[in-house]
Amino acid sequence: MWTADFDLDEPLTFDVVAAIVGARRSLVVRLAQQGLIETVNNEAEAPLVPRRAVVRIRRMQRLRRDLGVNFAGAAIILDLTRRMEQMNRELAEMQRQLQ
Amino acid sequence: MANGKDYYEVLGVKRGASDDEIKKAYRKLARKFHPDLNPGDKTAETQFKQLQAAYDVLSNAEDRKLYDQYGENWRAVKAGAGAPPPPGWEHAAPGPEPRAGGFDFNDFDFGRFRSSGGGGGFDIFEELFGGARGGGPTRGRGRDVEAELELTLEEAHRGGRRTLQMQNAEKTIDVNIPAGVRDGSTVRLAGQGGAGANGSEPGDLYLHIRLRPHPVFTVKGDDLEVELPLAPWEAVLGANVEAPTIEGKVGVKVPAGASSGQRLRLRGQGLHKRSGGRGDEYVRLKIVVPKEVSAEERRLYEELKRVSQFNARR
Repeated sequence: MWTADFDLDEPLTFDVVAAIVGARRSLVVRLAQQGLIETVNNEAEAPLVPRRAVVRIRRMQRLRRDLGVNFAGAAIILDLTRRMEQMNRELAEMQRQLQ
Repeated sequence: MANGKDYYEVLGVKRGASDDEIKKAYRKLARKFHPDLNPGDKTAETQFKQLQAAYDVLSNAEDRKLYDQYGENWRAVKAGAGAPPPPGWEHAAPGPEPRAGGFDFNDFDFGRFRSSGGGGGFDIFEELFGGARGGGPTRGRGRDVEAELELTLEEAHRGGRRTLQMQNAEKTIDVNIPAGVRDGSTVRLAGQGGAGANGSEPGDLYLHIRLRPHPVFTVKGDDLEVELPLAPWEAVLGANVEAPTIEGKVGVKVPAGASSGQRLRLRGQGLHKRSGGRGDEYVRLKIVVPKEVSAEERRLYEELKRVSQFNARR
């Protein structure tokens, strides 16, 4: 029996994230500095990255690879897609209530 | 071939198209069908799969040459199992040759998972990187896998054990879904992705949770909202009625003089929260009137009309 981790809050170092997504540490640092992935403040050391950012970075890598957009563009695409999904759900719910 | 379709047709280009034209056509169609831009859309996923298969072959000069010459049998020729190789290919090594980037569409599994413990679907929409184009983990770690898991609201609320089975393989996974997952949540199964090379650690499985629309409840964060029909006299006089909650029916005291749209809060009857405890349920009252009335009812309504001082539009 495997218990699923919930919501991926586990903080990871830049090195660990870089190894998981197969990228250089400098890329992960750059994404964090540009605010394209979220970070968790760490009082004494460098900021950490929540595990959920792994999924986001991978999506950005895929969009970069398949669509040719840069990371900033990929981040905007992901944010807009998320908002669009949310609006579609709300719209479907409103339609359901009107019926 | 991409499900028997001609690769050039899939990309919508002529057979003599240049590399730039092929890339341009691929990018244009990828923008339309990319799984990350169409989450949960199986048709787009299938289209993208065909698109990638076509582009993978046509963007590689050697593979494209073989495809142009042998059509759908080109892979067999490349593997040395079919027709004799074309001139100049006699010394090519048999078997698939890993190219730069190492991508082979046959390794790119969009296979389906299905759940055998509760009815939800579980679809892989992409396996990531462990051999796919565009780089990936470099130390032999197994590929990570992303998938969608569709749950009913009740399943998401109470959590519990699910058995997930990949349709194209023998592999089954028993999963304990935590109570209180939400639409859009992601949960991780450590070590349940692709196997690692040479004893390296396996990848992880990321499940993106999708909730099916519920016929009764509307989800608003941790809270639920439900519509409760009331008879006119129940609204005027007040009443004790039953209202549905996610865990069964509960008694609700409707105050006298209730109006349509008024909401009553049932504290702690919402969804399980991640941090413990539960949200609330809001019962939205809706006064409904009978479409047909008996003669006696009609007489009473007429009497009410005669004696009442109430003006609904004042």
